[in-house]
Amino acid sequence: MGAINTIEQLEAYRQEIAAGIKADLPTVLVCFGTGCQANGARPVAEAFSDIIEEQGLELNVNIGIKTTGCHGYCENGPLVALQPQGILYLKVKPEDVAEIVEKTIRSGEVIERLIYQDKTTSDMVAEYSEIPFYKHQHRIALRNIGAIDPTNIDDYILAGGYSGLVKALGMKPDDIITEIEDSGLRGRGGGGFPTGTKWRSCVAVDSDVRYVMCNCDEGDPGAFMDRSIMEGDPHSVIEGMIIGALAMGSHTGYVYIRDEYPLAVKNLTSALEAAREKGLLGESILGSGFDFDIKISRGGGAFVCGESSALMRSVAGEVGEPRAKYIRSVERGLYDKPTVLNNVETWANVPEIIMKGAEWYAGLGTEGSKGTKVFSLVGKVNNTGLVEVPMGISIRELVENIGGGVLNGKKFKAVQTGGPSGGCIPERLSDLPVDFDSLTEAGSMMGSGGIIVMDEETCMVDVAKYFINFLVEESCGKCTPCRDGLPRMLDLLTDITEGRGGEEHVAMLEELCDLLTWGALCGLGTSAANPVLSTIKYFRDEYDAHIFDKKCPAGVCKELITYAIDPEACTGCRLCAKNCPQECITGERKEPHVIDTAECIKCGLCRDVCTFDAVRIS
Amino acid sequence: MEKISVKIDGRTFEAAKDQCILEVAHENGIYIPSLCYNSEVASSGGSCRVCLVEAHQGGRMRLVTSCNYPVRKGLEVKTDTPLVHRIRRGVLELLMARVPDSEAIREMAAAEGPTDVRFRLDEGEYDRYKCIACALCTNVCADVVGVFAIGMVNRGADKKPDTPYGKPSDVCIGCGACAYACPTGAITMKEKDGVRRIWGRDFDMVTCSVCGTPYIPQAQVDWIVRTTGKDRSFFDKCPDHR
Repeated sequence: MGAINTIEQLEAYRQEIAAGIKADLPTVLVCFGTGCQANGARPVAEAFSDIIEEQGLELNVNIGIKTTGCHGYCENGPLVALQPQGILYLKVKPEDVAEIVEKTIRSGEVIERLIYQDKTTSDMVAEYSEIPFYKHQHRIALRNIGAIDPTNIDDYILAGGYSGLVKALGMKPDDIITEIEDSGLRGRGGGGFPTGTKWRSCVAVDSDVRYVMCNCDEGDPGAFMDRSIMEGDPHSVIEGMIIGALAMGSHTGYVYIRDEYPLAVKNLTSALEAAREKGLLGESILGSGFDFDIKISRGGGAFVCGESSALMRSVAGEVGEPRAKYIRSVERGLYDKPTVLNNVETWANVPEIIMKGAEWYAGLGTEGSKGTKVFSLVGKVNNTGLVEVPMGISIRELVENIGGGVLNGKKFKAVQTGGPSGGCIPERLSDLPVDFDSLTEAGSMMGSGGIIVMDEETCMVDVAKYFINFLVEESCGKCTPCRDGLPRMLDLLTDITEGRGGEEHVAMLEELCDLLTWGALCGLGTSAANPVLSTIKYFRDEYDAHIFDKKCPAGVCKELITYAIDPEACTGCRLCAKNCPQECITGERKEPHVIDTAECIKCGLCRDVCTFDAVRIS
Repeated sequence: MEKISVKIDGRTFEAAKDQCILEVAHENGIYIPSLCYNSEVASSGGSCRVCLVEAHQGGRMRLVTSCNYPVRKGLEVKTDTPLVHRIRRGVLELLMARVPDSEAIREMAAAEGPTDVRFRLDEGEYDRYKCIACALCTNVCADVVGVFAIGMVNRGADKKPDTPYGKPSDVCIGCGACAYACPTGAITMKEKDGVRRIWGRDFDMVTCSVCGTPYIPQAQVDWIVRTTGKDRSFFDKCPDHR
């Protein structure tokens, strides 16, 4: 079917797709997100195709094997979901496929070895919706991800897609903005600025040209929610942008997307083409007389280009440097025209808000932070991946209920939120609700939603050093405090972690933090103090241990630790000696071994390979 | 032109709408130091952060660069507060650590108090000479001269002005506007035996027919003739003997 010219035709088309699907036939969903593909999803999908053809199996013809976007549970990929049983298999290999077809698809039998086992309770869970990682989630922005094929627009339409647009086409532009305002939606990219207010102030500026933009320049280490949405459900973003354009009277949209996200670029490109073919983009959308199209602008991967003014300069073909925002981009943004820039996740929420209403959305979350938020839960936690939960959930719930607790039964020490410009929140504050205002109050920030879990073996000074080093590399170099202040901060932190720290080091760090916060030009610099200030605030004892006792309590900072073998625990198995790249571990078989500390380069390999936990750090 | 009144350090001044704070202050005898800003260069300013002042408006205070913050109705500016001096001193200390040889920076810092640099001085991993990477030179070249011979290259601490790929530029006209504008004298321009050397390229100078002084690069004359249509003979004599 070609272009859809009326709203009625879209509904008819939706029913036509639904009629073609035999709902009771089995469906195999193979996750094709970047994480699962890296873990080998492609051979698994091919194995399913082969076997279906070979055995002439009648699988759901319209859907067949679906390659979907990220389910979020990347660590356990490749993931295979089976419908209608609702079973999720983890870490599936091509050689498992024949068994899955034989047992599960043909006779409904669950293969125990492939299902989820709870690490704390040892319970085996087969059903997708009962796995704790999914059970506590509330998916709005991620509503379709993992269930639909992102390269097939029919899947999105069948799942109710573009209904929000249909509804919006029947609304007054002003009412659309009011709906977004009333929903309490705040920008999901980090700033947390109320989306409706932003739209309203853009419309208030008199101009014949306006732009709507989508920021998909996700660059925080460990964050991948925008990538997953773009890979797994690009139409939700496109639909959100069309609704935004309709509300603000814009006819051109841009998606700024990192070129390091090839699958996201590919899926977005094909989604845009499909939307154009169906008459959902381009001239007179659904016969409404409203014109709007979206262009893709690929970014070169500079972190600072996620900053709005740098992003707009980059799109315009200039160097990606921020400018002073004394004039807001809703007044003068891209090509000096009024521009609204929202993040991927923000746009993905818009169609649902329009469809289900502001009241429904505002009913979720907390007083100041409405709705849900997608987090990428990573670090020293059992279940890593993408989770969407109502705002206001506590850090403890995130880490323990969804994350399944800290890895290897270690002690939970802190979470780092908000990316390089965020801060570390200690375990004792883990009942803190995760929302925009509470995190800021605690000296961190929501950022784009990265949550890195840290255990007792994480050195907080080292963490601060890691993030400052990241920012040194990513500073554009335009303003003095950021360009020259960050390297000086790194010098000081390096001194501390290498045992050269003096009494004055912490005070000097605090001074530089003050300078950056007040004096830097853009958000990258003004928030760069967070990782340092929050670790000083909550983990001052660790700084002091490094400076005064020349010790790293977590056993991370190489210059301050030594490796030794506990003669009581050592069985003399020689495994450490065989693996030592310096060949500096000696000892007879079945006798305790000894490390020559003069030769040791503290690589930690001996400790990693020791099965008796005999290698100690002091 | 529309006038608005603005309060700076407790005094009220008339200012043109959209005029920057720094200009209004200077017109009225209030000194605010600056490095990267030149009123003749539209795109200059905002990067060195030396001219930060307190901007109070609508019950909110923030530090803004006075060189590019437009005055607005109801704006109250404070240029002489502990916060302003604390941040300015910090910025200047960082600049001193970056370019210890720069007289201009040292003098400006001295006006703010002690000039000790507590940070490790740069150990010369690359040649930073006196450059504070403020981009005034490249902005002059682009906005005023219009030849775009130099631009800012690299990023972060390695950011610096340079010709494309660091090679002598064939679009440079040797006018030296970048060197004249530089607040720290970081751009070397040397003249000897009727030849000017700048950005790694030699320019033959045109000699005044009256006094015999080489005064303008031939390439600059060619460029002016080409872009303005001015008669070439105009450049036979230097400005003093025209």
